Amino acid sequence: MSETSARLIRILLLAFLGVWLFFTLFPFYFQLITSLKPVAEINRMVPTFWPEVLVPGNYAGIFADPGSLKALQDSLVVALANTALSLFLGTLAGYALARYLKGPVGENLSFWILSNRMFPPVAVLIPMFFLFDNTPWGTDSYFSLIVLYLVFNLPLATWLMMVFFRDAPVELEEAAYVDGWKPFQAFSRITLPLVLPGMISVAMLCFIFAWNEYLFANLLTGTNVKTFPVHIPTFTQGSQTLWNLVMAFSLVAMLPPVVMFILLRRYMVRGLSLGVVKG
Amino acid sequence: MKQETTTPAVPEWFEARRKPRARIVARWVPWVMVGIPVLVLLAIVVYPTVWMAYHAFHDTNMMGLFTGRYAYVGWQNFANVLSDPRFHNSVVNLVWYLTFGATLEVLLGTALALILYELVPRPGLRVVLLVAMVLPMMLPPSIVGVLWKFLLQANNGAVNHLLINLGLMAPTERIDWLGVDLSLTSLIIADVWQWTALPLLIVYSGRVSLPPAVFEAARVDGASRFTVLRRLTLPMLKEIIAIAFILRFMDAYKFVDKVYVMTSGGPAQSSELPVFIAFQKGIREFQIGEAAAYAWLIFVVAAVIITLFLQYLKRVLKAQAFA
Repeated sequence: MSETSARLIRILLLAFLGVWLFFTLFPFYFQLITSLKPVAEINRMVPTFWPEVLVPGNYAGIFADPGSLKALQDSLVVALANTALSLFLGTLAGYALARYLKGPVGENLSFWILSNRMFPPVAVLIPMFFLFDNTPWGTDSYFSLIVLYLVFNLPLATWLMMVFFRDAPVELEEAAYVDGWKPFQAFSRITLPLVLPGMISVAMLCFIFAWNEYLFANLLTGTNVKTFPVHIPTFTQGSQTLWNLVMAFSLVAMLPPVVMFILLRRYMVRGLSLGVVKG
Repeated sequence: MKQETTTPAVPEWFEARRKPRARIVARWVPWVMVGIPVLVLLAIVVYPTVWMAYHAFHDTNMMGLFTGRYAYVGWQNFANVLSDPRFHNSVVNLVWYLTFGATLEVLLGTALALILYELVPRPGLRVVLLVAMVLPMMLPPSIVGVLWKFLLQANNGAVNHLLINLGLMAPTERIDWLGVDLSLTSLIIADVWQWTALPLLIVYSGRVSLPPAVFEAARVDGASRFTVLRRLTLPMLKEIIAIAFILRFMDAYKFVDKVYVMTSGGPAQSSELPVFIAFQKGIREFQIGEAAAYAWLIFVVAAVIITLFLQYLKRVLKAQAFA
């Protein structure tokens, strides 16, 4: 290949990357400026790509609304409780699978646990709707969401903790046993600190999945409990959507996952690829 | 690399005092540790699935469920679903959605990841660009739906006016993105916008973790960049790309958040997917028997794909452990 055509291909590929970056970032730019516009400017027939007036008050507006604060609180309660539960159960099971149950039974069990995450939730959600309906607390409660989010977070946490425990060297634990340590001491004081980064990233992945979940929350809850993805589309005034508040709130709600991702990018890639990519 | 011929990492006296694993803790302890999550999953995944299988053969509706009166109807529900044009339509939509959604995402993600790694010289810049391109993944899928519904409005939507400003469209023209003809395409655009990031991230990280020595050797031998890409990079990333594809495929198959928010399946059922219809039948129309038949058809297809995928994953992980 000649020098000039190689350079041409290189420029074309980089141009493609540039176009993609524009495609990715333009919606965010428009989201940001919409969150700063007054309603009148948003409703014009020709949208302004460079806002004429900036109204930072929209951000204060969402925090002045008690419904929004309640939505953030509900999301936080559900996501944190579910993450804690998934992580606790997943760590125990992952450790047992990685260290003790290494035969074919344990292996098949681990794949079965993972398969639960991949099945379409449609077969789970409809029965659970009627099941929770018969309980005293009903479908519209923290309990139903915290339990149902285990459908996707518990298999993920178990599988990933198993992967991380397999990476931690078993020799250190065995040295501890020789020194007369109890199994739980060896687990909590030696292996657990080794897998701590992995554990934190599993916690963050679980948190992000629970934080961003919409389908279950939309179908099961909505009055007593209203997580933010269900709350955001309800910013309306009559038949009119208050797009500036919708966009402002979405940007605020996006912050926790983005910060987590920037901090723990490598471990998250490991988690997102089910442990295949070392990152 | 034959590891079994090298000297063991632990000295012999240690080997002699090593307790067998089984005696360190009682035998039942690990089974209990795994047993709790297994019981939870039996209760919240397996039990509902069996419940659905039962009702797929009954003419259950809302009243019937609460009074306990429903009759066995055999395969009637399945026959109804399979002969329903609404179902056929949704399957065609699903095939379009998966082919153009999942496939495009993986192709674009792989291409972008490799361009980013090979052609952007500064590592710091690469990380910044990577984070920028992964941002859409951090939004909830439903909010992505809301955002694109806003951008794609026909009259004063940003996309139509951007196209006008760029000179790609006449100033009086308006593309009806959420109309009958384009609603499914718009869903696919929003999905590609959000989820190209996942294969991109996975393939990029996979490329970073490949051993540099191999590429150095190829360069010394004078292989062209195209040859290196075709003979080295892509074959070495094969498994990782396959896994990224299946992960995307399964998620696109089962989630309908964007359908709910952007189009609600409409207009005129032009963007309905089978999962969406199952939810509508079950929780909005309370035709539980028919919804169960839908759910089971979806479930069976998923079961086949998942079984194949897990066998593949097992092979990849085994190969990794011995590599």
